[in-house]
Amino acid sequence: MNNSLFGFEINVWLDALARLGLIVGVMTVVAMGLIYGERKILARFQQRVGPQKTGPFGLLQSVADAVKLVGKEDLRPNAADPWTFELAPYFVFIPIFLGFVSLPFLLDVNIRLLELGLLYFIAVSSVNIVGWVMAGWGSDNRYAMIGGMRAAAQAISYELPLVLSLVTVAMLAGSLNLKDIVEGQANVPYVALLPLAFVVFFISTLAEMNRPPFDIPIGESEVVGGPFVEYSGIRWSMFMLGEYASLWILSVLTAAVFLGGYSWPFGEDFGKGYQLVLMAAKSGIFIFLVFWVRASIPRLRIDQLMSYSWKILLPLSLVQVLVVGFVQVYELPDAFLTVAGVGGLLALVSITGRAVASSRRLPGAARTMRSEAV
Amino acid sequence: MRGIAKSLMVTLSTFARKPVTRDYPNYHRELPERDRAFPLLLWDKEVDEPFCTGCHACERACPVECMTVLMKDNPNHKSTGGNSSRRKIIDKFWIDYARCMRCNVCVEVCNFDAIAMNNTWQGHELSVHDRKDLVMDLQQLLSLSHGGGIKEWVPVVGQANEQ
Repeated sequence: MNNSLFGFEINVWLDALARLGLIVGVMTVVAMGLIYGERKILARFQQRVGPQKTGPFGLLQSVADAVKLVGKEDLRPNAADPWTFELAPYFVFIPIFLGFVSLPFLLDVNIRLLELGLLYFIAVSSVNIVGWVMAGWGSDNRYAMIGGMRAAAQAISYELPLVLSLVTVAMLAGSLNLKDIVEGQANVPYVALLPLAFVVFFISTLAEMNRPPFDIPIGESEVVGGPFVEYSGIRWSMFMLGEYASLWILSVLTAAVFLGGYSWPFGEDFGKGYQLVLMAAKSGIFIFLVFWVRASIPRLRIDQLMSYSWKILLPLSLVQVLVVGFVQVYELPDAFLTVAGVGGLLALVSITGRAVASSRRLPGAARTMRSEAV
Repeated sequence: MRGIAKSLMVTLSTFARKPVTRDYPNYHRELPERDRAFPLLLWDKEVDEPFCTGCHACERACPVECMTVLMKDNPNHKSTGGNSSRRKIIDKFWIDYARCMRCNVCVEVCNFDAIAMNNTWQGHELSVHDRKDLVMDLQQLLSLSHGGGIKEWVPVVGQANEQ
């Protein structure tokens, strides 16, 4: 039982171990780089300069932070549920970590290419909600509890538009294998055919990552950090690592699924270096968009958040699935998809605009109370 | 929706601008002449002695009582063969910078323009390990003006009223 890793024939178990070690190492380095990048870019959005004293251009700031976090005392509240509390960071971290397995980084550069890679990714990446709820429940803290519940509600709501927009991609590609999906975009990336699905996917990933403006589970001003309240030191840093690792994973997935991955344009004709540049540029654009949105848009209220997913994103992505189905069954030209997608995008913009502009409607009981008070 | 688009554009235009941050300990912005750090005493270069006669005006006016002034007969006075017209001169002077609140009252009450607010960076960067080190004696108070380090700015009487 031998497997080949970088051209060497090694034992299957050793191979698995080596690949896992590779993920951990690369992911940690990338997460540190992303933290540095986020601080630098966010600083520029606020006309600051960001970290600059630790190492050249402040590059070692993340390392210094990591050392500080590891050195801190690992506290646990007296009343906390010990098992739930201590295991929660792993439940947040490991599913994200597992998501790496099926990602196509470059042509034939991946951990393990699965036949149902997209399905596997969706299944695995949504498990980390268990960790959030565990952290909220186990901390024995009301804020953490509220934060954990919010995380669960938000993740369940936004999982649907996320998955439905990925379903359209799978329908177009006719495969759940991420390699096939990427190579199906050799001529036209799917973002050109499915602009609506891409935007819905982007918004849903923001919610999945608990990124602003969907960061209500960890909103410092409302629930003082949500499930993180009672965590410190290395456990807290695992949450942090998970957050940035999921940012990286989703950026790579977006690049692969919507932006043409390593394949578009002419990716397969040139070498791995060109593909690396392509992937870096595409996922970099996604990451920059996430940071940009974070710097610009304030946090939503929980009812706005839920109704945005259920009333706007979900119906639109269902319509998108329907349209793709029609196009496939009746073999309409692909341009029809683009037109429909742009139309859907305009509908999304207009509906969102109307939702933003409409005044807040109170529930019935509150409305009568207010009218009595006046 | 227009609001969201506008906010995105605002942040993007900010992103394109240069940061306003200055690398402070390595870069010192030039201070204005009227910058108000802690008070210090001025040196009369013509006669080569302090302007201060130890008249206690500032000590009495100081709202936080951070000053201690002692006066003595001027050994350099004309009556004893010197070249100074000051009959009395400052003997010892302490200002507790830890108490001073930089209100500028001492500068305003001084009859001889002998005290001024430090308008250099030395007046701001005063961190010490012990609070006692912030009590400045006469020599410390005079040294900056004696060495010509302070930028001249003599308060003009009634300037505030002229505006």
